[in-house]
Amino acid sequence: MTGWWGIRCVWLRYFDVYRKSLFYSVVTTFVEPLLYLIAFGFGLGGLIKTIPVGSATISYRQFIFAGIVGQTILFQAFFEAAYGSFIRMYYQRVFQAIATTPITLREVLWAEVIWDASKATFAASAVLLIGTAMGDFSPIGAVIALPLCFVSAFIFAGLGVLVAARSRTIEDISYPQYLLIFPMFLFCGIFFPLESLPKMLEWVAWALPLTSVVSLVRTLTLGLPFRIQALPLLAVWLLVLVPWSRRAMSRRLVK
Amino acid sequence: MTVPLTVRDLAKEYKTPGRDPVIAIRGISFEIQQGECFGLLGPNGAGKSTSMNCISGFYPATSGSVKIFDIDVYAHPKQARMSLGVCAQEDTLDTDFTVLDQMVRYGTYFRIPVTEGRRRSLALLERFGLDGRKGDLVEQLSGGMRRRLQVARALVSEPKVLILDEPTTGLDPEVRRVLWDVISEERLKPVAILLSTHYMEEAERLCDRVAILHQGKILDCASPSELIVRHIGSREIDEEIRAGVRWKRPPNLEDVYMKLTGSHLEKNP
Repeated sequence: MTGWWGIRCVWLRYFDVYRKSLFYSVVTTFVEPLLYLIAFGFGLGGLIKTIPVGSATISYRQFIFAGIVGQTILFQAFFEAAYGSFIRMYYQRVFQAIATTPITLREVLWAEVIWDASKATFAASAVLLIGTAMGDFSPIGAVIALPLCFVSAFIFAGLGVLVAARSRTIEDISYPQYLLIFPMFLFCGIFFPLESLPKMLEWVAWALPLTSVVSLVRTLTLGLPFRIQALPLLAVWLLVLVPWSRRAMSRRLVK
Repeated sequence: MTVPLTVRDLAKEYKTPGRDPVIAIRGISFEIQQGECFGLLGPNGAGKSTSMNCISGFYPATSGSVKIFDIDVYAHPKQARMSLGVCAQEDTLDTDFTVLDQMVRYGTYFRIPVTEGRRRSLALLERFGLDGRKGDLVEQLSGGMRRRLQVARALVSEPKVLILDEPTTGLDPEVRRVLWDVISEERLKPVAILLSTHYMEEAERLCDRVAILHQGKILDCASPSELIVRHIGSREIDEEIRAGVRWKRPPNLEDVYMKLTGSHLEKNP
C-alpha cells in the first residue's frame, strides 16, 4: 500500500525546506567535503605524492579524493538521518502530522530515507565533479559512481534512522557517532590502503559497509581492481539496515 | 445515507516486552452523524487520545473496526483519511514553514492543488484571526495562536469528519471561545465532529452527545442534558466551595462523571 505519490509529496517537503534555507543547506552539504578535499587532497597529497594500492601505484590525491566520496556519503546520510529524523520525530512531530493524512507512515519513512540518500548524493556529486575537473577521476566512472553513491547512502541513512528510533534523547545519538561512525571514517580505507592494517583489522574493516563503498568508488573512478566481496556485502547491509530502520521507527511512533 | 464515522467494539492494548499489557480502550462503540458533535469526556488517562489515534488509523486497534463513510480506516487508510481532518493533542505544526506555507503544504497531502490550497488557507487564516501572521514562522506565534493554526490546518482539506483531541486545553478563555465558535460553524456545514475534552463546560456547550469515558470504557452516552437528568436529576446541587461557604448550583456533567466513577474530571492523573 506504498504509493510513489505520497513518497514524492513528502520528499518535496524536505526539498522545499532545503531550498528555503539555501545558504545553510549549501554550507552544511558542500563545505565539509570541500574542506576534506583541500586538507587531505592538496595538503597531505602535496607531501605524499604516490601510493601503492595492490599492484597499481596512483597519486595520493586521487586515492584520497575517491575516499572522500565515501566519507561524504557516510556523514551526509547518517547525520541527516540520525539528527534530522530524531528532530522530525521527537520535537517537530512531522512524521505524526503527515501520517494522519492520506499519506501513510510507511510512505513518510520511505521518503525520509530517500531524502537522506538524496542529500548525501548531492554532496557526493560535488566531490565527484571536482575530482573529474581536476583530472583525477575518469568522467564516465564518476557518472557511473553516482547511482552507486545513491544506493550506498541508503545504508547510512538506514543506520541513522535506526539510531534515531532507538535513542531516548538526542544526546544518545553521540554513542553510535563516536563508537561506529568515526571508527568507520578512520579505518575503512579512506586515508590509507587497508593492506597496511593487521590482517584481522582488515577483515573487521571489510565487515563495515563504508569499506565496500570506498572500494567500489575507487574501482569506478580510478579503475582500481574490483573487489568481489564489495557488492554482496553492500547488498546485505542494504537489505538488513533499511527494513530494520523503518520497522524500528514505526515501532517508536505507533504504539 | 452512509454514516460519517462508525466505531465498533474498538479495543486497544499496549504491549511492552517484559511488562504486563496495558488495556487502554475496552471495546467502545458509537456512531457520529453529519452535523453532529460527539464528545469523549474523561480525565487524562481515560483513553481519549488512544481512541483518537486509533480512530484516525495512526495506531492499529487490537480489535474492532473504525469506518469513515463505510471505508475501513485500517484496510484503506488513504481513502478513508481523504474525508478526515485531525487536530492532535500535541503540537504537530511544521516549524520549518511559515503559517501560510504549512497550511498550503498540508493541503497537498490531500492532493489539493497549491492555488486552491492557498485560497482555502487564506480564508481559514482570516477566520481564525491569523491573517496578519501568515508570513511568520511557528516559533513567532503564541501558544493560543499555534493551537488555532493547528485547528485551521485540520480544516484545509474541508474534511467531512473532524477529530479534535483536546483542542482547547491550556488556552485562555478568549481563544477558547474563538475555537468554540469555529467548531459550532463547522457542525452546521455539516461536518461530523469527534471532540475529546476534559472540560465539562466545553462538552455541554458544543456536544450533541457525550460519551463518558473511564478507564477505556464508555460508561454512558447521551446528550449532556439527558445524562444530567438520568444520573443526577434536575435538583440543584448544594456544594461547599470552601470551608464554611456553601452555594447552590444547577447540576452539570462533572456531577455525572463523579456519580459514575467516584472521581473528579480534572483532578484525575
